[in-house]
This record gives sequence, structure tokens and C-alpha cells, in this order.
Amino acid sequence: MTDLPLIVENLSFKYRRRSELALDGVSFSLQPGQVMLIAGSSGCGKTTLMRCINGLIPNTYTGEMSGSIRMFGKSITEMEMAEISQTVGTVLQDPERQILGSYVLNEVAFGLESLGISREEIVPRAEKALQRLNILYLRDRETFGTSGGEKQKIALAGVLAMEPRILLLDEPLASLDPASAHEALDAFRQLADEGIAVMIVEHRVEDVLSIHPELVMYMDEGKCAYLGDSKGLMDVVDYHRIKLPATVVMERARKDPAPVFNPVVLPKEDKTPLIQFEDVHFSYNEDSPEVLKGINFEVHSGDVIAVLGHNGSGKTTMVKHALGLLKPTRGRVLIEGLDTRKTTVAQSAHTVGYVFQSPSQMLFAPTVKQELAFGPTNLGYSPEEIQKNIDWAIETVNLKSELDMPPLALSFGQQKRISIAAILAMRSRILMMDEPTAGQDYWNYQAFMDAILQMPGFDSIIFITHDVDLAVIYATRILLVYGGELVADGTPQEVLKDEKLLRSCRVLPTSLLKLNMEYLPRTGKFYRAETLAHLQS
Amino acid sequence: MLVTWHYRVRNGLMEKFDPRARWIFSLAFLFAVTMFWDARFLLFFFVLAFAWYFSSKAKWKETRRGWLLIGFILFMMIVVNTIITGGGAGGVVPKGGHLVWPAGLFLLGWKIPFDLTWERLWFAICQIMRISSISAIFLIIPYTMDPRQYGVTFRGLGLPDSFAYSMELAFRYVPTLARDFTTTFDAQRARGYEIERVKGNIFKQIVRVAPLIVPVTMNSIMMGEDITDAMDLRCFGQRPRTWLYQLNYHWQDYVLISLGIAMLLVGIFSLYVFHIGGFWVPAFFIH
Repeated sequence: MTDLPLIVENLSFKYRRRSELALDGVSFSLQPGQVMLIAGSSGCGKTTLMRCINGLIPNTYTGEMSGSIRMFGKSITEMEMAEISQTVGTVLQDPERQILGSYVLNEVAFGLESLGISREEIVPRAEKALQRLNILYLRDRETFGTSGGEKQKIALAGVLAMEPRILLLDEPLASLDPASAHEALDAFRQLADEGIAVMIVEHRVEDVLSIHPELVMYMDEGKCAYLGDSKGLMDVVDYHRIKLPATVVMERARKDPAPVFNPVVLPKEDKTPLIQFEDVHFSYNEDSPEVLKGINFEVHSGDVIAVLGHNGSGKTTMVKHALGLLKPTRGRVLIEGLDTRKTTVAQSAHTVGYVFQSPSQMLFAPTVKQELAFGPTNLGYSPEEIQKNIDWAIETVNLKSELDMPPLALSFGQQKRISIAAILAMRSRILMMDEPTAGQDYWNYQAFMDAILQMPGFDSIIFITHDVDLAVIYATRILLVYGGELVADGTPQEVLKDEKLLRSCRVLPTSLLKLNMEYLPRTGKFYRAETLAHLQS
Repeated sequence: MLVTWHYRVRNGLMEKFDPRARWIFSLAFLFAVTMFWDARFLLFFFVLAFAWYFSSKAKWKETRRGWLLIGFILFMMIVVNTIITGGGAGGVVPKGGHLVWPAGLFLLGWKIPFDLTWERLWFAICQIMRISSISAIFLIIPYTMDPRQYGVTFRGLGLPDSFAYSMELAFRYVPTLARDFTTTFDAQRARGYEIERVKGNIFKQIVRVAPLIVPVTMNSIMMGEDITDAMDLRCFGQRPRTWLYQLNYHWQDYVLISLGIAMLLVGIFSLYVFHIGGFWVPAFFIH
């Protein structure tokens, strides 16, 4: 029992500059070959727990720690960082920032080089790690040019090369398309089956449940709110807080009041297209292959469009054309009838407001008020109009009390809403968002999307997403992109019913989609599981 | 948009040398060339630098951006600083000299007091030769040196592991930083920001580029934290490091290093023993 890979007993931790406990009396143990899922909302203590186990606390992050962590019978306090790192391998959330080598072999060899292992031993061990994940073919490739899924595997190979017996994975699915996510999960399961104890911290609970974790812990405010098998989790956890399988949510939601959701972006009489793509082709330079290959579609008032597709399919490149940030190498894009080649991005911004994936990519001003004034000032609005727009935008996102705060000092969710308000203040007719739910937990992202869709001010909304459920719940139209081509354009019911097509585009059906397809003959359209529960009862 | 250094194997002359030898030669060249203001010596360095540069087989299309930046810096240094304002030549060009327009420069009937001398003009030519020679030697490095070899090269030159690896890391993250900058630039353009409209005095211009600088800086700081964690988690700096690649000197490397040392010695002897190589203006240029 004492030689188990990991025994955590009554672990508490408080960061040096914080007054409240980040971890409060957490206990559990992990056996070889087990997969453990750690779920919980943002700020629940998941990351702190991982830092305690992998030694970053107290080596890098300091504070007050109590309780104990034992690995294979040895207390972590008796282990040096080098010993901890060889026992526990950690894959961080963003592989782009974890990958240190310019080339794949260098990246995978990094830890072994740091340990001072002989050169003769490094190469076979690195190759073995690559082979284990079936990516040996990437050995001599540059890391920068690899896809999101490949980067995730490269980062994992770099950790596996050090032959850890415990693996910590911090939101490993965050930037992956559905197919890549499931490939990654299969790899994690296989590693566990080979005897490694695997801990996965993840918001995408439903996805992780598909590999049948032996142990699930649900954390809330630094405490362990649930520890047990995945079946028990379904009964205990608030289904608003983490994403459970749709059938479970539907069953449990019957007892609660039906959700209220009244989207305000509705079709209009005027059928004049807001945006037109006419045979759009694009490549970044003349020597590189085409990223877009003959795209045709129109955006009309009332459209809520979800753009689905795999990593690197051309989704972001496509929507950047819709604002004129990129110009077609062949074909044309018209915004309210004007060719983007003949207009500036600033002119197009009157029609299209584009919110990038991370708010930190755009927020810069000393106060929220100045941040919101930035766009309308650039567009040449009068001071009175700017003030009016700021007042309306901040009211709409319900952050009036933060008007004089620095935007970068707000929480991630608030920053996200400020980035929307910054676009609202420009009075653009179309809201375009790249991965609007990225970096948010389930509760926050649902509240965020509900708020956006019920927010007055936009004639149309376009969002890029990997999350099929987001398209199921919120979209009135889906554009499915694969390899730079638009392979489907229609209502969610039309596009998502073709499972074969979805799979060929690396988009996987979810339990919510399957449930909706089952009830579609009776409901006529797609709904969230909570709504379905009441339509059936 | 992907941004990379465009390194690829070109089978150029410089790739036949050990990268340590290349760096020793390049640094020796740098120190040697900065000892001279005599155009006859500088011409030798200029020819040598561009012969070296062209032996790389890099295409103009690849290095164009780098040369545009160097061209801009040269323009500011030479045209604005040396020729127009007369700065930058202090201590090298003797005071006085032969005026290019002794009677003054007339423009649209107005007499403009412009005391440009032939000596300063010649100094500008020397400056161009010096800077472009040094640029040719160093600009070509990222296009012709395998990014996997930066760390081991600097380690092989006697620098500590941490410094050597930080050089390799810098080359790894330059494309990522460039991509982050492009993303922020696009995000602000989407809010109507136009860099072309950034005008006014220096302080106003700094304030106007804040929408680009602040997000990129903040993201870099956050990225730095992740990179540190990633390195700590894989034991960086805890033990003496093994470098995956091994470098070995060959005869041609000793030739190149000897050439670099010879240049340095010639510079030192010329300047401090024979007192030649200082600023010199050909007689035909003054008359």
C-alpha cells in the first residue's frame, strides 16, 4: 500500500501573497495503470494540486504547505527536483509554450540532455518515446510547423522519454479538434494500460469519460467535493458546473425548471447579403499551398453561424477574409457590397467586429473605459457617440462597476466580456468570434454564450469552434470546413445528421448531438439537454 | 501567418565549417573591421564579407526583409546623422575640411547654410562599407546555421549551459513572438487601428503604438512563466547538460579561425604599431 505511485494525504496550500487556501485538505491515492480525472471550475485548485505533485510547488511557487505527498513510498520532501521530474512527467496546457526545441528530436531529447544522460542513450530513448505515440515520422520536423494535435503528442513524447511512472496532464484537450482529442485520449489510456498512473485535469469531462477513468475527483474551492468512480460523479455533481453526458443531464434536468433562452438575433425581411464570398482562394505566399480553395457562401441578417473544422482546416483564414484582414489571391469577398480589396480593415470594421480567441491579444488600455473607446475613436465617431456606445456596451455585458479598472487586472471571464464590449462599442453589425469558449470552464462558457446570443445589437453572429455542442445549441447555420474547402453549409439539422461526413472532416458526434438526432422527428430542431428534458416531460 | 528564419540546407561554403569556427571568424571580422577607417582596408573587408555572403546561396527574396531593415538603419545613420546633421563623424573626421558647396547651397532661390564637406562625404562611404560588411557577415547566420546547433556552439565557445541554451531558445521563440505580434496587430486592425496614422512627436507615437506593444509584452511575460515551468519540469540546470549534437573541428575550421585571428592581428599591428588604417581621404575626392 505504501509503495503506491502516489499517496496524497490532507494536502493544503496557500500561495504566499494570497489570504485564502488554494488547496484545503485534499487526500487520495493512485495505483499503477489507473487513469484519474480531476474536474472542477476555474480556480477550484486543480492546477495548484498538480504543482504540488510535480514539485513546482515549492521549487518555483512558494507558500505554506501542509499534509503529505508520497511517491512510491518516498516523501516528496526527501526528493530533489530531478528525481521528482523523472518520477512525474507533466504536460502543460499549451504545448506551444512547453515545446522548447526547434526540432522534434531536440524537443523530445531535452529532459534527457538536462539529466546529463550519455548521447548514445539519448537518441534511442527519444526515438522510443516517439515510436510509442506513433509519431516517429515527425522526428526531423520543425516543431513550429506541426499541427496542434502533433504538438500535443510531441510535448507528451518529451515527457515520456524521461520514463516517468506518473503522468500529469493539464487540460491536454484544450486546443485540439474532436478527432485529435480522442486520439490523444486513446494514447493516454494506452499509457495507463502499460502501467503508468495517469492524472488528467480537464474541463471536457465527457470526452475523458470515454476512456473510462478508474478514479474521478471533483474539486470545488480547493476541496475535494467528490472522489470515486465516474458513475458516482454523475449523481453528485451539479450538471451546470461540468459537462456530463447529455442523457445524464436530460435525466437530472427534469427535476429542475426549464432553462430560459431567448436569442435576439433573428432572420429579417431584408435578404441583402452582409458578406459574400465568391470563389475565394488564398495562399500565404506564391510558393505555399492554397489554404482556401474556392469558398462560396453568403451571410445574411439573422444568421448565427458556427464554423466547424479540424485544426488547420482554414477556418481562421476564412473568417479573417470576412473582415479584410486577409485578401483573396483569387475570387473576391464583398462586405455590404464593397470588395475588401478596395476598402480598409477600418472601413470593414463598421460592419464586422472580430473578437480574437484570447482577450490578452487585444486588451491594452489603462482602464476599461479607454479600452472601449479605442475602437469607436478609430472609426471616427464623435465624442458624444463614443460615450453613448461605451455606456450601452458596458451595460450590455453587465460590467459597469469595472469601468475604471485596468482590463488586464480582471478575471479571464470578465476580460472576455470586455473584449466583446469593445466590439459592441463599435456598433458593428456582425459579431465574429474565434473559439469564444476557449479557456473558460463549462459554467462560464454557457453563461457567456447565453449572454451573447441574448444581447441586442448584432444582425448576425459567426463563431469558430471545435465544440460540436456549441454549434448544436446556439447555431442556426453551420459551415463545415475541411482542407480549405467548404464541404457543407446548412442548418445544424442538415449538416450534423451526416455522421460519415462529420467523421471524414475529423468532427465527432457528441452525446448531445446523438440525443438530438434521436428526438429530432418530434422536436424539429436541436436543443440543449436541459431544454430537451422539458420538451419530453 | 507562419514566420520562420527560412533555414534550410543550401550546401553553401559556410556550411562546410564548424559553427564555432564560423562564429569565431565572424566575431574576429567584426572587431577587425571596426579598427579601420581607411577605405582601402575597408574595401578588402567589404569584398571578403560579400564573397562570404554570396557563398551561402541564400536568395534575395529570403533575406530581403533583413536588408530593408539594415537599409533603413544605414539611411538614418548616414544620410540623416552624418551628412545632414554632421553627427557620428566626431573624432574620426578632422575639423574643417573642403566644403562641397563653398558658396552655400541654393534651393528655390534660398541660400541654405549646409556645410557638408568632402571629408564627411567620404566618411559616409566608409561607414556604409563598414556596416554593410558587418551586416553581410551576421545577417546570413540564421539562414545558414542549423537552429539545433546554437546551444552546443555557444557551449563549445566556453559559455555556460544556461547562456548557451538561452541562445537556442531565443531562436526557437522568435517565430512564436512574431506570430503573436501578427495576431495582436490583426486584432487591433479589426478595431479600426491603422499604424499608418501613428503621427506626432515621439511621446505621442509611443502612446499610439501601445495597442501593439502592451498585449505582446504581456503575452511574452506569461509565456516566459510557462517556458520556465517547462524547463524546471525537465530538470534544466540541475545537472551538467549533455548536448545532443557533437561538434568536431576539421582542418578547414582551423584555416577559417586562423584567417580570423590574422585579420585581428593585422588590425592591431596596423593601428597600434604602424599607425596606419585610420581615416584617409583620397586626394582626387577632395579636388
